[in-house]
Amino acid sequence: MARAGGITNAVNVGIAVQADWENREFISHISLNVRRLFDFLVQFEATTKSKLASLNEKLDTLERRLELLEVQVGTASANPSLFAT
Amino acid sequence: MAVPVEEAIAALSTFSLEDEQPEVQGPGLWVSTERGATESPIEYSDVSAYRLSLSEDTKALNQLNVLIQEGKDMASVLYTYRSCVKALPQLPDSMKQSQADLYLETYQVLDLEMSRLREIQRWQASAASKLAADMQRFSRPERRINGPTITHLWSMLKLLDVLVQLDHLKNAKASIPNDFSWYKRTFTQVSIQWQDTDSMREELDDLQIFLSTRWAILLNLHVEMFRVNNVEDILQVLIVFAVESLELDFALLFPERHILLRVLPVLVVLATSSEKDSESLYKRVKINRLINIFKNDPVIPAFPDLHLSPAAILKELSMYFQKFSSQARLLTLPAPHELPPREAQDYQRHYLIINHIGAIRAEHDDFTIRFASSMNQLLLLKSTDCADIEWSKEVKGSMYDVIVEGFQLLSRWTARIWEQCAWKFSRPCKDPVPLESHETSASFSDYEKVVRYNYSAEERKALVELVSYIKSVGSMMQRCDTLVADALWETIHAEVQDFVQNTLATMLKTTFRKKKDLSRILSDMRTLSADWMANTSKSEPELQSLQHGGEESKANFFYPRPVAPTAAQIHCLLFLIYEVVSGGNLRKPGGLFGNSGSEIPVNDLKQLETFFYKLSFFLHILDYTATVASLSDLGFLWFREFYLESSRVIQFPIECSLPWILVEYLLESQNAGLLESALMPFDIYNDSAQQALVVLKQRFLYDEIEAEVDHCFDIFVSKLCETIFTYYKSWAASELLDPSFLFALDNGDKYSVQPMRFSALLKLTRVKLLGRTIDLRSLIAERMNKLFRENLEFLFDRFESQDLCAIVELEKLVDILKHTHELLSKDVSIDSFSLIMNEMQESLSLVSFSSRLASQILSEMQSDFLPNFILCNTTQRFIRSSKVPLVPVQKPSVPHAKPNFYCGTEDLNSAHQSFARLHCGFFGIPHMFSIVRLLGSRSLPWLIRALLDHISNKVTTLEPMITGLQEALPKSIGLLPFDGGVTGCMRLVKEHLNWGKKTELKAEVLRGIKEIGSVLYWMGLLDMVLREVDTMHFMQTAPWLGFLPGVDGQILYSQDGGDSPIVNLFKSATATIVSNPSCPHPASFQTLSKQAEAADLLYKANMNTGSVLEYALAFTSAALDKYCSKWSNAPKTGFIDITTSKDFYRIYSGLQIGYLEETVQIQSNNHEELGDSVAWGGCTIIYLLGQQMHFELFDFSYQVLNVAEVEAVSVTQTHKTDKSPHFGQGWEALLEAMKKARRLNNHVFSMLKARCPLEEKTACAIKQSGAPLHRIKFENTVSAFETLPQKGA
Repeated sequence: MARAGGITNAVNVGIAVQADWENREFISHISLNVRRLFDFLVQFEATTKSKLASLNEKLDTLERRLELLEVQVGTASANPSLFAT
Repeated sequence: MAVPVEEAIAALSTFSLEDEQPEVQGPGLWVSTERGATESPIEYSDVSAYRLSLSEDTKALNQLNVLIQEGKDMASVLYTYRSCVKALPQLPDSMKQSQADLYLETYQVLDLEMSRLREIQRWQASAASKLAADMQRFSRPERRINGPTITHLWSMLKLLDVLVQLDHLKNAKASIPNDFSWYKRTFTQVSIQWQDTDSMREELDDLQIFLSTRWAILLNLHVEMFRVNNVEDILQVLIVFAVESLELDFALLFPERHILLRVLPVLVVLATSSEKDSESLYKRVKINRLINIFKNDPVIPAFPDLHLSPAAILKELSMYFQKFSSQARLLTLPAPHELPPREAQDYQRHYLIINHIGAIRAEHDDFTIRFASSMNQLLLLKSTDCADIEWSKEVKGSMYDVIVEGFQLLSRWTARIWEQCAWKFSRPCKDPVPLESHETSASFSDYEKVVRYNYSAEERKALVELVSYIKSVGSMMQRCDTLVADALWETIHAEVQDFVQNTLATMLKTTFRKKKDLSRILSDMRTLSADWMANTSKSEPELQSLQHGGEESKANFFYPRPVAPTAAQIHCLLFLIYEVVSGGNLRKPGGLFGNSGSEIPVNDLKQLETFFYKLSFFLHILDYTATVASLSDLGFLWFREFYLESSRVIQFPIECSLPWILVEYLLESQNAGLLESALMPFDIYNDSAQQALVVLKQRFLYDEIEAEVDHCFDIFVSKLCETIFTYYKSWAASELLDPSFLFALDNGDKYSVQPMRFSALLKLTRVKLLGRTIDLRSLIAERMNKLFRENLEFLFDRFESQDLCAIVELEKLVDILKHTHELLSKDVSIDSFSLIMNEMQESLSLVSFSSRLASQILSEMQSDFLPNFILCNTTQRFIRSSKVPLVPVQKPSVPHAKPNFYCGTEDLNSAHQSFARLHCGFFGIPHMFSIVRLLGSRSLPWLIRALLDHISNKVTTLEPMITGLQEALPKSIGLLPFDGGVTGCMRLVKEHLNWGKKTELKAEVLRGIKEIGSVLYWMGLLDMVLREVDTMHFMQTAPWLGFLPGVDGQILYSQDGGDSPIVNLFKSATATIVSNPSCPHPASFQTLSKQAEAADLLYKANMNTGSVLEYALAFTSAALDKYCSKWSNAPKTGFIDITTSKDFYRIYSGLQIGYLEETVQIQSNNHEELGDSVAWGGCTIIYLLGQQMHFELFDFSYQVLNVAEVEAVSVTQTHKTDKSPHFGQGWEALLEAMKKARRLNNHVFSMLKARCPLEEKTACAIKQSGAPLHRIKFENTVSAFETLPQKGA
C-alpha cells in the first residue's frame, strides 16, 4: 500500500514555497491597502452624504423661511395704499 | 514621485470622517464578499505545485464543486417555483372556438417552465452518477491515487446535501406535479397535429415518473452508487467524519453544521442498505452516537420555511430501502409532531430563544467590551513606532482570539434563530387568538398559524433583541475588517509556522524518528508551508539577538510576516494530517482521531487534532467579510415560498411577515431599551433582498420584497412619528403639571413619563434600505411639521365648537403643544412655533391684524357671549344665563382626536381636563389672561376696535327705539309726591310710564343697554389684565432701561440724559473687546452694541401704554356725542328743568323701575336674563351724557326710596303708638331691589368718575354776568380720541 505524501523534489519545492511566501507578502500588502483605500472611499461617501443631508436640512429651513417672507412681502406690497401716509 | 503605499493610505486618515451617525443598523455594505479561502479562487490549480500527486483528487474536487454550484441554482429554481396553472385564463363560452389557440399558448408558456424541470431531472442523473463514480474511484481498497482529501470529503457531503435538499423540495412542492399534469394535457391537445411525438411523449413520461416519485433523486443515487462497486468504505468515512465533527462542534459554523445534520440520516440509510454486512458501520460508529445526534436536533432547517426531520426522513426512506427497515432503533425515533408532550416541552425549552436570551445578553455585553478593548490595544500598537515584538504578538493574538470568538458567537446566535424558526414551523399554533374581532379563527392560513400567532410578545422581544445583537456585532466586526486583517494574517502565519517549525520538529526528533513513512509525511508538511526565511528581512544584529533568544527557548524563532497561507496550502496540510492519522486506509477502524491501536502516541495525536481543526477554522477567518456576511445574514426570516404555495395565495399580507411583526412589536411595546433597534428588522429585508437577487436570482422576489419594504417603511415612519409625538407631548404635559400638586398626590406616578431615548433615531440621516439611502431625520421633521399644524388646527376647531369659556383650556393645550415643540426642537429641526401658529391662525400677512382666533372670539362674543351671558358684579364674572337664548347658537360638533392631540396619554388628559373644567362655567379674569396671551399685541387691538365698533353700532340701533319710548312719555314729569306713600308713588309712576304696548321695545332696549354694559365691563377686565401684564413687563425691563418708579406712579429716569444701563453695558463691553488686538471680529461686537441701542429705543417707546378702559369710555362718549342733542335736552333757561321727560336718564329710569318691578314679581327672572351689566350700560351712557346728577335726583326708584324712607320714619313713629304696621305692604322686596340697584349704580358712577373724569370735559360754568354756559370744553380733556374715525360716521 502506497503511503500518500512524498514530495518528489522536496528541495525545489521548499525553495519555491519560500519564494512564494515572499511574493505573497507583497501581494497581500498591496491588496490590503487597496481594500483600505476602498474602505476609505466608502466611508467618505457615507459621511459626505450625511453632511450633505445636514446641509440640506438647513437649506430647507431657509427655503421655508424665505417662502414665508416672500408671502409676507407679497401681502404687504399688494396693497401699497396702506403705506402711503 | 512615488509615495509609499502605506504612507499614502495613512495620509487618508487625516480626512475628517466623523458624521455623528449612531450605529443602529446592521452592516449594509460589503466591500467584498468573495470567498478566497474556503473556495479556492483558482480551483486549486496551485495544488500541483506541491507535487503531492493530488491531481486526480483536485480534478474530482473541482468537478464536485461545479456540481454543487449548479445544484444550488437548481434548488433555488425549485424553491422559488410558483404555479403557473393558477394564472392561466379560463375561456368564456363565447370564445370556445379558440380553445386550440389557448392550448398552444399555454403549452408554450408551460414548456419553458417544464424545460427547467427537465433540466433538473437530467442534472440530478448526471450528478448522481458523477458522485457515485467519484466515490467509487476513491474508495478502492487497493489505492492507486492519492485522496480523497478533507476538502474532497466536504465536497461530497455538500453535493449529497444539495441532492437531499432538491429531493426534499421536489416532494414538498405540490404545484410542480400540478403544473406538469396541466402541461401534459395541453401537450396531448397540441401534439395532435404534430408528427413524430413518440420521443417527446417518452420524455414526458420519464419526467412524470421523476416528479411523482418521492425521493426519486436519492433512489437514483443509491442505484448509481451500488451499481458497480461497493462504496461502504467511503460512506463510513463520511459518517465518521460527520459524527466526529458534530460531536466536537469546534470548527463548525452553523451552515456546515446544518449540512452535516441534513446529510447524516441519508448517509446512514445509504450505508446500511448495501448488499453486504450492514452492521459494519456500527462497529466504527456506535449506534447510540447517531441516535444522540438525531435526538439532539429533531428539526433541521433546510430552506427558510421548510425544515427536515431526521426521524421523519429515516422513517420515510425505510419504505424504499428494504435493508434499512430492519434498523428498529433508528426507526423508533419520534418525528417532531409525534413527540410526547414532556419531551416536546424539553425541546421547546431548548429551541426557544426566550429561554436563552439572558445568557446571550451577557455574552454579547462581555464580547463587545472585550472586542473594543482588543481593538484599542491594536490601534495603540499601530500608533507606536517600535513596539516590542512580544507585546505586539500578544495584542494580535488576543485580537485573533476575540475574532474567533465573535465568529462562534455569531454562528451560534444565527443558528438559534434558524432553529427556532424550524421548530416553530414544525409546531404551528393550535388555536390562534384573533387579534381583530372581525377575523374568524377558521380563516387563518397555515402561515399565520406558524408565524403570526406562533410568537408570543415575549418571544418577539427576544427575537428582536437577538437580531439586533447579531446585526450590531456583525457590523462592528465588518467595520474593522481592514484594520485587523494584517494582525489576523500575522497570527495565523505564526500559528502555522510554530506548528511546522517547532511542533513538527519535536515530533520528528522524538516519536516519529523510527517511523520512516510517517516522518516523511511530516517533513512534507514542513516543506510545503514552512517560511524559513521570514526573518531575513530583519537587520543582522536584531536577527542574531532573535536567534539567540530562539536558542534559549529551544525553538525556532521566526519573524512575524502578515501573510496568510493559501487555500491550497491549508488543503494540503489537512490532507497530510489526515494521512498521518488514518494511514491512508479508509477501512481503518475507529474514528478520525479516535485512538484505537494507532501507532501515534496520544500526545502527538492530540496536537495534530488541535491543529487540524484550527486549520479548518483559519479558512473562515481568512474569508473575513464573507464569513461575517453569511453569519449575520437573516434574510431567511422573510421567505415563505413553500407556505405561499400551500396556502394558494399570491402573497401574504404584511401582518404575516416576520420582519414587520418585529417592527410592529417594537413600536407598540414602547420599550425604551429596544427603541434604538427599531431599524434592525429592516436589515432582515436588506438581507432577503440580497438573497433574492444573488442567491435565488429571482427578480420577482426582489420586487415583492421591495414593495413590502416600501409599504412597511412608510407605516414605520408614520407610526414612529406618532410615538415620538405622543412621547414628547406627554412629557411636556407632565412637566406643565403643578409639581407640588403631584408631590401631594398618592398616584402621582401615573402622571410622570417614562424617559425614552429617540435621539439616536432622530439623528439618522442615512438609513440603508435595499441599496437606497434614506434621510430618516428629514422624513421625521417633515411629518412633525405636519403633525404640529394638524394638532393646532384641531385645537382651534375644538375651541370653535365650544363657547368663550373654553379659552383657558385652549391656552393650556396650546401651551403644552408649545412646550412639546420646544422639547422636540432640541432633537429635530422643525419650523418655529410662532410660524406654525401664525400659519394656523391665518395671520401670516403683514397687513392683517385679525387672526382666526381673534375673529372667532369676536364672533363668539357677538353671537353668544353678549346676548347670553350675564354679569355678576360682585364676583367679576360673566355666567351663562339660565334662560333659553332667543337665537339658539349653532356650533359645529366637537371634533374627535386621538389622546396625543390633547396631552399625550389618557391619564394626563384627565388631569388637565379636570383643571380646565374649573374654568369652563364662567368668564372672568383667568379667561381674560388667556385671551391676552393668545392674541398678543398683534390681534388684541383689532379685537378691541371691533368691540368698540360693536358698541357704536348698538348705540345707533338703540337710537330709534329710545325715540319711540320718549314719544310715549308725557311731556313733563314732576317730582313724585310724598303724600301717597310708596303705593301712591308707584301708581303715579305707572301712569307716567304708559308703555303698555311696547314691552317688546322695552326688552329690546334693555338688552341693547346690557350688551353695551357687558362690552364695557369686559373692557374693564381687559384693562385690569393688561395693567398686570404691563407692570410685569415694566418690572422686567426697568432695571435695564434705567427706570425708577416715582411716587405717583410716574416713571423717573435714573440717568439724566445719559444712556440706559443696557446700552452702557454693551458699549463698554464692546469697547473693551475691540481694544484688545487679538479680537477676531470687532465689527460683530459693534453691531451688538448698536442693537442694544435699538432695543433701548423700542422698549422705552413701549413703556407708557394707555388704559383700554379709558379709551373705550372715550370712544363710547364720542359715539354718543351724535345723539347728545336728542337724548339730553339742554334747557333754554340754562337751569335744570325738573319736569323734562326727553332726557335719556328718564328713559333709563323708567326702564329700570319697570325691570325691578318685574324682577320682584316673577322670581328673579329678569335679572337672570340681564344681570348687572344693564346698570353698567345705562349708567355709563347717563354719565357720558352728563346726566348723572339729574339721574340721581330724579330717578323714579330713587324717589320711591326717598318716599319710603320718609314713610318708614313716620311709620316707626306711628308704630310706637298703635302698632299697626301697614307700611309698604308688599313693597319690601321691590324696595330692597331698588336699594340694590342704587348701590350698584353708585358703584358704577364712582368707577366712571375715577377712570373718566368727565367734569373736565364738559362742565357747567357761570359767567360773571350770571348766565350759565353749558358743556364748555376744556383744553385738558382726556378725550384725545374724538378725532378717531368712526364706523359709518
